[in-house]
Amino acid sequence: MSDLLACQHELARALGDEREAAPAMRWLAGEAALTESRLAIYRTNVVAAAAKALAAAYPVIRQVLGGARFDATAGAYQRRAPSCSGDLHEFGSTFAEFLADDDGARSLPYLPDLARLEWAAHRAYGAADADAIDAAALARLPVERRPAIRFHWAAGTALIPSAFPIVRIWKIHEADFDGEFSVDWSTGEVALVAREGLRVAVQALSAGEAAFVAAGLGGASFAAAAEHALADQPGFDLERLLKHLMGTRIICGFDDDKEE
Amino acid sequence: MTKPSGASVGIGLRQPHYREVFERRPALGFVEVHSENFFLDGGASMQMLERARAAYPISLHGVGLSLGSADALAERHLGKLQRLVARVEPALVSEHLSWGSVAGRHFNDLLPLPLTHEALALLSERVDRVQGLLKRQILIENVSTYVAYRHGDLTEAAFLAELARRTGCGLLLDINNLYVNAVNFGLDPMAGWDALDARTIGEIHLAGHTHTDVALIDTHGTPVCDAVWALYEAAVARFGPRPTLIEWDTDLPTLDVLLGEAARAASKAGVCAEVEHV
Repeated sequence: MSDLLACQHELARALGDEREAAPAMRWLAGEAALTESRLAIYRTNVVAAAAKALAAAYPVIRQVLGGARFDATAGAYQRRAPSCSGDLHEFGSTFAEFLADDDGARSLPYLPDLARLEWAAHRAYGAADADAIDAAALARLPVERRPAIRFHWAAGTALIPSAFPIVRIWKIHEADFDGEFSVDWSTGEVALVAREGLRVAVQALSAGEAAFVAAGLGGASFAAAAEHALADQPGFDLERLLKHLMGTRIICGFDDDKEE
Repeated sequence: MTKPSGASVGIGLRQPHYREVFERRPALGFVEVHSENFFLDGGASMQMLERARAAYPISLHGVGLSLGSADALAERHLGKLQRLVARVEPALVSEHLSWGSVAGRHFNDLLPLPLTHEALALLSERVDRVQGLLKRQILIENVSTYVAYRHGDLTEAAFLAELARRTGCGLLLDINNLYVNAVNFGLDPMAGWDALDARTIGEIHLAGHTHTDVALIDTHGTPVCDAVWALYEAAVARFGPRPTLIEWDTDLPTLDVLLGEAARAASKAGVCAEVEHV
């Protein structure tokens, strides 16, 4: 191993855990106690930078836990799953799984799903801008070929099913929320997270809507997705949903298999 | 692509100031953003960057590439930078003389490198690779540090001068970092300036730091201090005026405070306070 690599390995251990600082000291000059306290500056910076990034990706989880408890949870999460990217926006992808296992967060069983929702929103924020569907081309398509089309979905579109009312919980924590601060805990919600223009929109879907979107995102044809939806929710209003999804560019195109 | 002129000053453009900057369009020679904040496919941040690009020359300042990681260069990260540079066509692209990751663990910090021949060879190879891929010159910035290595073959200035000679890269001279290190280790902040070729200095950073019991910390959260202003004047006298950035990242002040600092830099660099819009 080169000197530089050995040095970086040992400094990394020292930065990860103060109890493992001894091997790094052979690379560092100056009085040991001062050097140790200066290494601690880096240690603090590393933890703070990752906690700040996590707070930016999970603003609602932070509100629910409160700043101090969030920071402690972020510290524990970093020890379990440290950052592995030079882009801190990628840090936190497994936070939901961590919260599911975390003793401190177990008293709030909806947190993992809420975290999944927030991570989906974080990813959708920077997803590619979607074009509007070519409605004229869709209208020109012979009726008999319509069942086989597959829709294109805006990048970043995600469906988060939960046994908890996560959309409601998310909404009442939004800065501009001005409704009643009440949550009906008796029912779960499926959250659709997607970019609508530059805004990240979060909405609750009915069973049929969720089945349609899940099938469509999974690559099912229009007919197959509609069939799933009607099986889950007889009489569900497909036309209304399509109008919404196309109007918001969540559905942003289609493939007509027969044309290829 | 518009180049900031030698005497231009800019500010670090941060999210809380986006709206005000676009409304007021202050006269600035350029604005600088962190490259990693725009490793995105689309959305509001990218739209903001497009707007900024239409109004000002852009400087992309990377904080996460970790050029000095001895085990590997982060190819995926580099690929994202390449894509961003192609999209933005920035006036300046800069990275740091530092490392931040090893064995898959990232500290997301600018950790200092031992100034050895081994590190110089590694950095030279990495800078060649990055400049080859980006098809352009990059600037390498001196970092602040709180620990000193026992082993070193070169001074920081000699290291940077040789890196620039070998690779053709430019240098981003962070005056505050020079000052922080000088105080932390009892050095002369201008030591080795004779080794630096003025033509290699492509940008200057000015920022504030924080005093603690054990060290000055490079927080970018306070005004530029008098000693750093004096050092800046010395740098302008030695190297000539260079595109100069007011870099402020934590405890962000009002835009007017940043513009005031920028105007002060402009006057010290010998240009009128209201900098001409490039």
